[in-house]
Amino acid sequence: MSAWEGFLRQARAARIWSRLGGTSDVVVAAAALVALLLVPLTATAYGLQLATDILAAVALAYGWNLISGFTGYLSFGQVSFYGLGAYATALLVSRTPVPWYGAVLLGGILGAAVALLLGPIMLRLRGILFALGMLGLARILGIIFNNWNFAGASLGLSLPAALTPLAVYGGMALVAAAAFACNAFFVHSGFGLDAMSLNEDEAAAVAFGVPATRVKVIAFVLSAIFPALVGGLVAWNRSYIDPTSAFKPSLDLETVVFVLFGGIGTLWGPLFGAAVLMVIGEELLVYLPNFELALFGGVVILTVLVLPGGLVGLANRFGWLRRPLVLAPAALPEGAPPAPRAMPAGDVPVLEVRGLTVRFGGLVALSNVSLTLRRGEIVSIIGANGAGKTTLFNTITGFITPSVGRICYLGRDVTRLPTFRRARLGMARSFQIPRLMRSLTVWENVVLASRHGGQAHRAVAHTAWVLRITGLAALWREPASRLSPGHQRQLELARVLALHPALVLLDEVMAGMTREEREGVRNVIRHLPEFGVAAVACVEHVIAAVADLSDRMVVLDFGHEIAAGPPQSVLRDPAVVRAYLGEPL
Amino acid sequence: MLALQLAINGILLGGLYVLLAQSLNLIFGVMGVVNLAHGGFIVVAGLFTYWFTIRSGVSPLVVLPMAFIAMGAIGALVQRFLIEPLMRFGSRAELLSLMITFGLSYLLVDLALQLWGADFVSVPYLQSSWTVAGLAFNQALVIAGIFAAFISAALYAWLNLTLSGKALLAASQSPVGAICCGIDVGRVRLVAFALGVGLAAAAGVLVIIVTPLAPETADDFTLLAFVIIALGGLGNYLGVAAAALVLGLVQSAAGYFLGGSVEYILPYVLLLGVMMLRPQRFRRAAS
Amino acid sequence: MNDIAAVPALTVDGLVCGIGPLTILQGVSLAVQAREVVVVLGANGAGKTALLRTIAGLITPRAGSIRLFGEAITGWPAHRIARAGIGHVPSGRELFPRLTVADHLELGGRFCTPARRAELRRRLFEMFPVLAERAAQRAGTLSGGEQQMVAIARALMTDPRVLLLDEPSTGLAPKIVLALFQTFPELRRQGVSILLAEQSLSLGLSAADRGYVIDHGRIVLAGTAAELAADKRVADTYLGR
Repeated sequence: MSAWEGFLRQARAARIWSRLGGTSDVVVAAAALVALLLVPLTATAYGLQLATDILAAVALAYGWNLISGFTGYLSFGQVSFYGLGAYATALLVSRTPVPWYGAVLLGGILGAAVALLLGPIMLRLRGILFALGMLGLARILGIIFNNWNFAGASLGLSLPAALTPLAVYGGMALVAAAAFACNAFFVHSGFGLDAMSLNEDEAAAVAFGVPATRVKVIAFVLSAIFPALVGGLVAWNRSYIDPTSAFKPSLDLETVVFVLFGGIGTLWGPLFGAAVLMVIGEELLVYLPNFELALFGGVVILTVLVLPGGLVGLANRFGWLRRPLVLAPAALPEGAPPAPRAMPAGDVPVLEVRGLTVRFGGLVALSNVSLTLRRGEIVSIIGANGAGKTTLFNTITGFITPSVGRICYLGRDVTRLPTFRRARLGMARSFQIPRLMRSLTVWENVVLASRHGGQAHRAVAHTAWVLRITGLAALWREPASRLSPGHQRQLELARVLALHPALVLLDEVMAGMTREEREGVRNVIRHLPEFGVAAVACVEHVIAAVADLSDRMVVLDFGHEIAAGPPQSVLRDPAVVRAYLGEPL
Repeated sequence: MLALQLAINGILLGGLYVLLAQSLNLIFGVMGVVNLAHGGFIVVAGLFTYWFTIRSGVSPLVVLPMAFIAMGAIGALVQRFLIEPLMRFGSRAELLSLMITFGLSYLLVDLALQLWGADFVSVPYLQSSWTVAGLAFNQALVIAGIFAAFISAALYAWLNLTLSGKALLAASQSPVGAICCGIDVGRVRLVAFALGVGLAAAAGVLVIIVTPLAPETADDFTLLAFVIIALGGLGNYLGVAAAALVLGLVQSAAGYFLGGSVEYILPYVLLLGVMMLRPQRFRRAAS
Repeated sequence: MNDIAAVPALTVDGLVCGIGPLTILQGVSLAVQAREVVVVLGANGAGKTALLRTIAGLITPRAGSIRLFGEAITGWPAHRIARAGIGHVPSGRELFPRLTVADHLELGGRFCTPARRAELRRRLFEMFPVLAERAAQRAGTLSGGEQQMVAIARALMTDPRVLLLDEPSTGLAPKIVLALFQTFPELRRQGVSILLAEQSLSLGLSAADRGYVIDHGRIVLAGTAAELAADKRVADTYLGR
């Protein structure tokens, strides 16, 4: 299924209107709706303009929230799209017979197109550089339009007869509503869950099948549409645009302030922040004209230091406006064990690693390591600290690209395949130190993986089943940050199972466990084949715990394989004893 | 002849750029803090210099140490109360410092607007040129470029030749290792930030001798400094110096042949270009 | 202990520490006498590194006390503890990759008098001749064993009374580790007491006078090196049986 189809399916599944969180959400939504309808009926011309400006701010805030709130990629240059939308609209209207709403929509599409072009490149970078890049983009566009005579250069463009203020209000209300709807989709859908997981821990998200770049780019493109639409409408409202007002830097400042103050990454934050601060700003600016920038700058600083969660964060402490669980049913269903994964015919090994060499600069972490896992095998990999065990797992799962060597999974060469695709094909790993999504609940941590794994078509039922068999059913609504260490490890295991994997790679899963906990994990490992797992590889320090469980044992030392074979004979091999347990003295 | 003239102008400009970038490199390299208020400090210092020299008739070079110390002190306060509290947020500290310095930059810009208005102003110091062997040397550019280069060199010397400077480098390369040596890493962060801001102020004083400043140009300086660091390599002092010189040369040539707008836009185009063509420089290290 | 008058170099009493809801050390008590080498053994994740890091001040304890020659240093900032005489060689070494070996030594000896610094440096170059050869080389370009030497030398330049060594054998061939341990007698002679955290049973016991075995944040066994070497239970907890 293509990305777009997947996206559409998600949109339908979100069923926004039937999933409006708790009472507080309904109250706020109703109040907003009432206000929206009352304004055109009762307000003065000034009031209508203010309301239009507030709606513009709300739309911009929601747009920014999509990229910076959910994925955590702070953009300080959304004004680029605003200006592009404004100019596109102005140019289309003044030179072509396109009607005004067509021009505005085309402006929106232009914004999306530019985001689609730049997104894949810029979103692979660190967050800071993305922020700087967007800042730079805004400056470049400002300069280009300042010198482009076709667009009126520094004098700008005038637009023909303006729309009625009511029409602009209506248009802005539609844009704001659409932006809100987009945010609501993010908050309730699996796609939004993917975005939030990237914000939390991109490496872990990718290991469980989240297509990082794709999600980021879609979020970015969506975030570009709304400022472009707003820009187009504002151009209409003012009947005039020029580079200074179209690409004004303070637009991003205001938007950032609004969302931060309201509650970044939340559903209602942008609305609260924009509405409250716009009104306060209007009032205060009567007394303190020209202090706009300082005021907003100060609000940003104070909010970061004192109230990083914003107004919604504050409300959450009282139990209001809590984010609803994503893709969660009202009660945990029984769930059923999944059908086994379709495997390729013949005796194709589950995993075949040949001649793997990994170099970090001058250091050789792995040297010519080969490993084959056949169906039904459990292999344990042991070795002293620094022997290369975790590096081996990281290379097999795709976090590290080998300098030399091939990795074949179920007969397919995956050496160059991105990590998230390997996860979707059924290669699951646990992390040495559990990398759970701490801001998400237990349910969401697991459904995140289910959605991308072999049981994606019945993700909810599969998640419920996984939670039951790993003993986490009672805790399904708990935030992952509040789990005890034992439960955290169970959750880590649950995520692995949620992918419905054929190959399971367990990285020191027994570390720091009590004897009972270890026995529990050993049991799960023994039963994994019943869950459709074709092969298991364990990296372990607690040798005794895996010695009787494994069919084969491989010993690594300084990146080389020094022994392999049945555990009992390997553990008696003098080379192994020497390397692992130290020289007998 | 022309080439030589452009080259010399470019090198002098580059000298100025080195200071601009190194002051930010100190903060970014040691603390990993992206100081978006960098340009704000530069502009405030520059405009203050303008105001002070107009009022008192004193040479701006006298203002330089004053600005350095005063802004350095302000930088220390900013670090202590705005940045250091963010360190407890661990991995989120980077983005939060981005936000907070973003807010700070607007505070500074508004301060500048209130105190000195929105117009471009410049310090009428050393307006003439020296002519040597048929080449014209803009006096202001020469003085500013040489001073800036000298200050940058002094910074480099301090960092690499003195024990206290090496302690700062150590703290940026391994905070835990530095602690093991008894180095107070918290204090190092304070000093690095204060020094970075003080040097930015020094840069501001020198810039306004050469070119007019206005509050709205603050972001341009921030971006310029980041572009140079991106090109030269984070924490790589010699690389940044080289990048600054190259940029100075390129801008000098571009400004002459292609006009003011291109000269202005060049750093941004370079930034986006480097991001697109050499993203490896910026890739997040595998965890 | 036998001699009541001799103040132990390091005393740890009921140390509790953790991160968030996790408790890593559940009340650890141990002592290192002057000029002793004590080893802390245990499986991965048992708490050895946490123990050393808490003593060094990198982790703030929630309960318990730490004393250096009788003086309470609990809760002191880590850099102050380093200056007070606890040298720490962290796991992962934590070197400064772009600074030279000589720089490392200089920085380690920053708070000594120049005379003392020169003396320490002379002694270290005697103990680790390789360092003298590579004095001008950047630490990032050294081999694993050389890096470990630099880390230890740097800690010794702080003129410590107690040296904390966190899993020095990591990533090193046993031969090199043994060579490292052969410097211990000289260090003891110079008045340094050593607390060593080791994963490798035999390596750890070969170097120490006494040892403790830590499991899930608690001391479960203690005794002289000979006693522990003979005790089957050590291998049991270690291998998780």
